[in-house]
This record gives sequence, structure tokens and C-alpha cells, in this order.
Amino acid sequence: MTSRLHERRRWLGLAGTGCLLLLAGCKGDSPPSARVLPETPQDDPPIHVTGCENTSIDPGRVTLHRLNRAEYDATVRDLLGDTTHPARAFPVDDHGYGFDNNADVLSLSPLLMEKYASAAEALIESAWTRGTLSTCALDAARPEPCARDILSRFARRAWRRPVTPEEVDRLLRPLALAKQHGDPPEVGVKLALRSVLVSPHFLFRVETDPEPGSKTPHKVSAFELASRLSYFLWSSMPDEALLQAAEQNKLRTPKELEAQVRRMLADPKAQALVSNFAGQWLFTRALDSAEPDPTLYGAFNDTLRRAMRQETELVFQEFLTSDHKLKDLVDAPFTFVNDALAAHYGLPLPGSTTPQRVDLSEHPERRGIFGHGSLLTVTSNSDRTSPVQRGVWVLEQLLCSAPPPPPPNVEGLPPPVNPSMTMKERMALHRSLPQCQGCHRMMDPLGLALENYDPIGRWRLKEVSGAPVDATGDLPDGNVLNGGADMRRFVKADPKLPECMTEHLLTYALGRGTSEADECAVRLIAATAEARGGRLSDYILAIVLSDHFTSRRGDTEAQSP
Amino acid sequence: MSRKPSLSRRTVLRGAGALLALPWLEQMLPGAARAAAPSLSPKRLAVFYVPNGIHMPKWTPTGTGPAWELTPTLQPLASVKSDVLVISGLANDAGRPDGDGHHAAGTAALLSCTKAFKTEGTDLRAGISMDQVIANHLARQKATRFASLELGIDAGRGIGNCDSGYACPYANNIAWAGPHTPMAKEVVPQAVFDRLFGGTHAGETQAQAARRRAYGMSIIDSVREDATVLQRRLGTTDQRKLDEYFTSVRDLEKQVDAMGTPTSACGTPTAPGGDEDPRAKTKAMMDLIVLAFQCDLTRVVTFMLANARSNKVYGFLGLSGGHHAYSHHQHVSSNFDALARIDRWEVEQYAYLVRRLKEVKDAQGVPLLDNALVYFTSEIEDGNGHIHKNLPVLLAGKGGGAIATDRHLRAPGIPIANLYISLMRAMGVPNVNTFGADGTQELAGLGG
Repeated sequence: MTSRLHERRRWLGLAGTGCLLLLAGCKGDSPPSARVLPETPQDDPPIHVTGCENTSIDPGRVTLHRLNRAEYDATVRDLLGDTTHPARAFPVDDHGYGFDNNADVLSLSPLLMEKYASAAEALIESAWTRGTLSTCALDAARPEPCARDILSRFARRAWRRPVTPEEVDRLLRPLALAKQHGDPPEVGVKLALRSVLVSPHFLFRVETDPEPGSKTPHKVSAFELASRLSYFLWSSMPDEALLQAAEQNKLRTPKELEAQVRRMLADPKAQALVSNFAGQWLFTRALDSAEPDPTLYGAFNDTLRRAMRQETELVFQEFLTSDHKLKDLVDAPFTFVNDALAAHYGLPLPGSTTPQRVDLSEHPERRGIFGHGSLLTVTSNSDRTSPVQRGVWVLEQLLCSAPPPPPPNVEGLPPPVNPSMTMKERMALHRSLPQCQGCHRMMDPLGLALENYDPIGRWRLKEVSGAPVDATGDLPDGNVLNGGADMRRFVKADPKLPECMTEHLLTYALGRGTSEADECAVRLIAATAEARGGRLSDYILAIVLSDHFTSRRGDTEAQSP
Repeated sequence: MSRKPSLSRRTVLRGAGALLALPWLEQMLPGAARAAAPSLSPKRLAVFYVPNGIHMPKWTPTGTGPAWELTPTLQPLASVKSDVLVISGLANDAGRPDGDGHHAAGTAALLSCTKAFKTEGTDLRAGISMDQVIANHLARQKATRFASLELGIDAGRGIGNCDSGYACPYANNIAWAGPHTPMAKEVVPQAVFDRLFGGTHAGETQAQAARRRAYGMSIIDSVREDATVLQRRLGTTDQRKLDEYFTSVRDLEKQVDAMGTPTSACGTPTAPGGDEDPRAKTKAMMDLIVLAFQCDLTRVVTFMLANARSNKVYGFLGLSGGHHAYSHHQHVSSNFDALARIDRWEVEQYAYLVRRLKEVKDAQGVPLLDNALVYFTSEIEDGNGHIHKNLPVLLAGKGGGAIATDRHLRAPGIPIANLYISLMRAMGVPNVNTFGADGTQELAGLGG
């Protein structure tokens, strides 16, 4: 499946002894609920992770990171005040390890360079016209001092670091060229401004190593760290406060870093974490291309599509702003619905076309992400539910224990040969194949426990065939998950949940895939975050304060052929 | 040297299809290369990729050689049957993955015949694709403004894994500039249109063009210097990323350098609409391919009807399931029927492209199709078993005489890389004797 931690964390382990342990935890009477936790303890106790005591943690390295489309748009918004989303015309970014900010797969093709060049021209022309770039009046006879001022200020922000005098000298060259062609100095300045936006220092997040061939870790520079922070939390460039903190070398202490993180999370720009991180982690982005069969599921329309997407985004947003325990995503006792979605779910109508926060204490079936129409829809086929896809989603996105892919020839569910067969019977049938059984014993029960949700997330008691829904999933150890409530408890109690959430968040934060070498770091970050209170902000802080985030090293890879 | 084109206004308008309501310019000025070789109609290659294989029993003609009949799936080609060559039996062994991941591995190897390195991101490695070998050759001759176009209609879902441990670039790109660099494709007709027709500066004087070129070059010089200084401070992996930057800047430089050369005077046609319907999008892309050829803006185009392993729902064909799900047909006849419907629709889109290329004539008055090679294929044969042999292959157009059409050629077990050697040679690339993992010679029998 993947070369990351999954490989090592044999999912079979989960199917074995781990389950017994977990199920013991599932039998408690009081259902867990989301709540705001007390303040973080003043002195964080040192965290120990078994098996990692004597491991020196290698922070790894992030490949030269091209801005993806979301980052480009957010950056020119903050740099130039441009809200035209020029990157929409760029080719789609590929994604790796589940995220489209993965530096390794963000290539730069000639087509994209062409787009960058024309975007730069349009962006500068429009910003110049709006007057956002000129800090002084360009004197036609002696334009250099003002040009120098404009260009050094702009390049500092665009390149997210101080510029050297030599760099400014180079930027000034087009001034002479414009004069040579009889054009006013502003033509030369605009050319220089355009080149700033096509420069590798703008298009890439540049991080350098003092010794590119050495594997000894070192702290990234203050400016590199400022960019790491701002692209992690905002998908955008550092703001003035962050740049100044870097200039004053203030980003060194955990205290200052924490203060910056809290400030940044409170900024509306942190919405980027919702659309770019959560949108991919929780699969919300796939809603745009979901196509439930209109003859069977004609109730699904673009109004619902939008409401479902907003629901998941707003819930995640609330986790960001109101500091719920991240684990409570699994069973949060509140959600956001408008009238259309409430009716779809069978909830009381909030009396609004815009989503309203509603309490779910009377509707446990809608608790947490598993009650969200978005997730339930994108993990279904167009014409039927897919317990396998739902199960794989849980294992991969929440427990990082996805099974290997099916062998050739057996992928996919057999067609409904016998329409009267229930989903459970069909799953049992395909589990009867010896080559399938091993993996499906773990995937299927998790998905089957969600069978009360139809392919567009409606609650149902009967399958399409008319047979009553059987939402029981038999775990490999003989225990049974009876419906969504059991399933939520099972997932929430799994000790792999914090580490898995860390793994996805860290992958996104760094823009690189994690591997076995990162295992101890992941475990340590997860343990730290949980010890701090387990809120989303605790996870973010634990990542930001980790060596993985603040350090890097060179690589000793042999020159590629 | 300008020359009146032999295109009639009506032909041009038809060529533009529903896409364009033109103020079409009278002159169809040929490109710079045309001036160098005025007597030759240029050759052109279009690659049309479909995902998930083809249900072969309804595709493969029974007869061989000229004694062939259109099968149910190939029926949409009726009006251009005489221009089509069906080739059965070709294999792409390099498309076989390590473990699972047949769609991504097969697609990465589709035009490169090079086994893709299994990775989710780090150490991406495939091979240069044959279309890019041709594009590089034509770029050296400065034949057209764009060395190649990479098109598709599928942006992808942007979530999760792509295919069993193979990174998404393998599944989403068939054109590769080199082992590490997929050629990103455009999926928005409007964006393609803007790129092809937006940057023209009609009525510009030579002096104005020269100034624009000088200004463009100043930007390129500046950023290249930035990159050169930066390169010295980077490790090997980062240098490889920066190499992509240098390559792209070189490409941009060629375009800036060509400013002021009247490469294309195709006027300013009206842009396509923002329709998301796959039928409208596909047709718009086909029309853009024809226009790009017609205006000699490029001679190499690749097109992906969807990304590898696409599970698109073809509701407009009356189907409720996803394409990929159907392709795992489990030998059930209702799935075969669904696949045949999708396959036939795919062939219809290809047939439309072929028909348009036959109708539209180039500046010499020759149908574009006569000198074109229009290639249809998929990454696998059958979706159920993920077979990398007996791939579905169609070639339309005579490639300037290289291809004898209206036949069914059987080439069981022959590496598809051999076909590519033939195509590259037909497109004028000199000295191609081997290609990819197993291409050793031209495919025998193509010329009849």
C-alpha cells in the first residue's frame, strides 16, 4: 500500500491482540463526549515513549518546495492584495502521501513556468495600477533611490527573507534597459517586480543546508522557520509580524513559537488548515466529484453537496477555534446543518439556509465525522454503499493501519448477482475467498457497522433490496461491533488514533511523506500533544516545537544519473 | 513570406466548431518552419488515452489485413474506416507494477515503455515519453511555438492514495519530459485557449516586438541568475528540483525569443465556455487540438480522457456505476455491457477528432489527417485481470505515407515500444533504433 509507517505497523497486529484490548475499553457505559479541557499544565512533564529512549531523532529533509496552487493564490493575496486566484488557471498539482503540498511530487513543468510568467505580468500590472506597490514617487531623472526602495521592500516580502544589496542591484538592471528603449522608469521597475515573482526564491520555499552533503541535523534559519509556520497554518507567506520576529531572531524559544502559533491560529487565514489539510485528510475535497446515481439517489443535489462540505469544514473549524480534543472528531456531540441538510439527516430544522450549530445529544447517530454526509458519500460507490471503502478510510485516515491492496483479479465487490442478498451476505461471500479473507476481516466490520447510512448519508433501516439493514461487523477476535455507536467507541479507544492523526498532520506540516525513520518522532509528538490536552492546537504546537519542524539536514544521496 | 491559406472561411468556421464564434482573420500565416520547408505539409501526432482498458471481445475485429469489419465498439469510426489501422497484440511489459498498482504503473509506462519506480512521492522515476522525444526534436528545429500540448479533462479528486503505493503523477500523466518530470496537463479548455490565442500581439511593429523580447529576456536573465546562485547552495535532491526550473526557463526563453516572429496568425477566436460536462469538455479539447494543428501552434498533443483508474460515472450513458468498478467485471455480462457502452463512447470522441482532422485542410490544402498520426490506446487490455498484453491500439491518419490504413494488423506479443520507434521515425526523429525497456526495431508491417 504505502511505504510509510503503514508498512511497519502491520495491520494484522490490529486484527489480533490489539482488538481484545481495545474492545475492553469499548464496554464502558458512559459515552465519551467532546468537551473543552482545562488549561494546559504550566510545566509540561517530559514525555517518554517506549522504544524510543535511546534513539536520536533524525529530522529528515524536505525537498525544495514549489508553492502549490492554493499556496500561490494565498501568497499573492497577502503580498499584493490580489484576490483573483490566478493559480486556478495553472495545471492541477499532483498529490503524494495524501496531500497536494508534497514537495517531492510538486514538479515544475514548462507549461507551469509559462503560466507563472504570464501571471506575474498580470499581477504586477494590476497591483501597480491599484497603487499597492509604489512606496515613493519615481523621479524620471533620478529614479534609482525610489526604485531601490520599492524593489527591496517587495523582494523581502516576496522572498520571505532579507535581500542582499547585490540582489537589489541586480533587480535594478531593467531600469537601464527601459531607459535604453525610451520607456519611463516605472516600466523598468515593473519588469523587476515581475522577475521577483518568477524567481526561484518566490516560487520555491528555499531552505539551504550549511553542508548540503552532511546528514548532521541543524536548525533551519529563522526565516525558513517563519515560512514553515506560515505555510503550515496559513498556506501563505509570513506576515510582517512573523518576518520581524525572524529578523529579531525571536523565533528561537518555544514560548515565542507558541505565542506565534496561537496568534496565527486566531487569524482568519488559518482557515487554510480547514480547506487544505482537513479537506484532504477527511476527503471533503472528493465531494466535488461525487456522483451518486440520480435514479436511486436523486435526493442528492448541489445544495446538499455544499451543505455537507460546509458541515465538515465548520466542525473542523470549531475544533480549531474552540479547542476540542482532536479525538472527539470521531464522536463530537454537535454539528452544523442548514434546513436542507437537517431534513436529509432527519434532524429538527434549524430554520436557516445557512449552517447552524446544533446539539446532537438527542441524535447520537449523527455524532462525529462518521455521521457526516460528506464522508459517507465519498466513501460510497455511486449506486451502493461500500463497507470496504468506508473501512479502508477508517484504517488509513484514522488508524494508519490500512491493509495491503487486493491482489489482481479480485478487486471490487462482486455485482449484485442476487439482488435479495444483503450487503452483509455479499461481504461474507467475498470474504469466503481465501485470498481476500485476511484483509477483509478487518476492513469489512468497520464499514458494515456504518450500514445504517446510505450512499448519500441518509439514515436507513432497510437496504435498497428491502432487506433490513444488518449493521453488525464481526471483528477478527470474535467481538462484534453493533452499529455506528460501537464503531465510534472502537476507533476512539484505539491507541493508534493519536499517532495516526499526528502522522497526517505532520505529513502536511512538512510537505513530505513520513517513513519508518520518523516513527519515534511521530510517537513522541502524539504523546506530547495528548499530554498537553489532546486539542487540535496541542497537536499543532507539538509539531511546531518538534525537531522535525525546526530542524533539517543535508542529504548524501549519490548524484542521480 | 506570407501566403494565402487554402482554408476557406467556412472550413475554418467548421473547424472551430461550436467552440468559436469567430472574428477569424483572413490570413493563416504559416509558421517559421514552414518557411524553411515550404513544400512540406508538417506531420503531427495526437495521442488519445483512455483509462481502465477496453472490453476486447467487442473491440477486436475478426478479420485480418484489409478484410476487416468494424466491431460494435469500433462502429463510431464508420465514416473514417478507410483512415484507420487497428493493431492487435502489442504488449507493454514495462507497465507491469511491483505488486499491485497496474493502472499507475501502466500509465506511467504508456508512452515511455519504462518501468516506474514504486514510490508515493520520494524518488519519482519513470522515463521520457515518445511524444516528448518528438517534441524535443521539433523544438530544436523551432518548428512551432509550442513543442507539445498536454491536455486532459480530469482534474482528479486530490485525496488519498492514487494506486497502491504509486504516486499520483504516475496515474495522472502520460507525457514525461524525463525520468523525474511529468508534463502537467491542462484540464480547462478556457486555459488552453488562452494559452494558444491569448498572447498574440496583433499589429505590433518589429520595433515593438523587439522591445518586448528584450524585456522578456531581461526577466529570464534575472531569474536564471537567481537560480544559478541558488543551485550552488543546494544538495543533490534539491538541485534536481531546480533542474526542472532551468528546463522550464529554457523553454520560456525559446518562446520569448520567438516573439515578433509571426508564428501564428489564427486571429482571436472566442473562448470555449465553462461547461463542466465531460461531453462538452472533451469536444472542446478535440476542437482545440484541431485548431492547434491547423494554426501550426504545435505538432504534438497528448490527451487523457480521464486519469488512470478513473471511477467516473457515465450517467449520460445510462450507467450508474463507476468506470473502474465496471472494469473489474468479474465476467458478469451486465458489466460487459456497461464497459462496451463506455468504450464505444470513448471511440466516438476519438472518431470525432479523426473526422475533424480529415475535414480540415492545412495551408497546402491537404487534409490534416493525411499527414497526422492519431493514436488511441489504454494502459491495460482488460480491467479485470490487469493485462499488459494485447493492448487496444488504433492509429488513424497516414503519417505522410508511413502508415497503410484500413487494415487490421496482428502483432502478437510485439513490444509496443517498437510501434513508438516507428511513430518517432515517421515524425522525423532521426537515429531512433531503440526505445524504452524493450523497443528494438520498427514495428513490421505498418506501411502495408
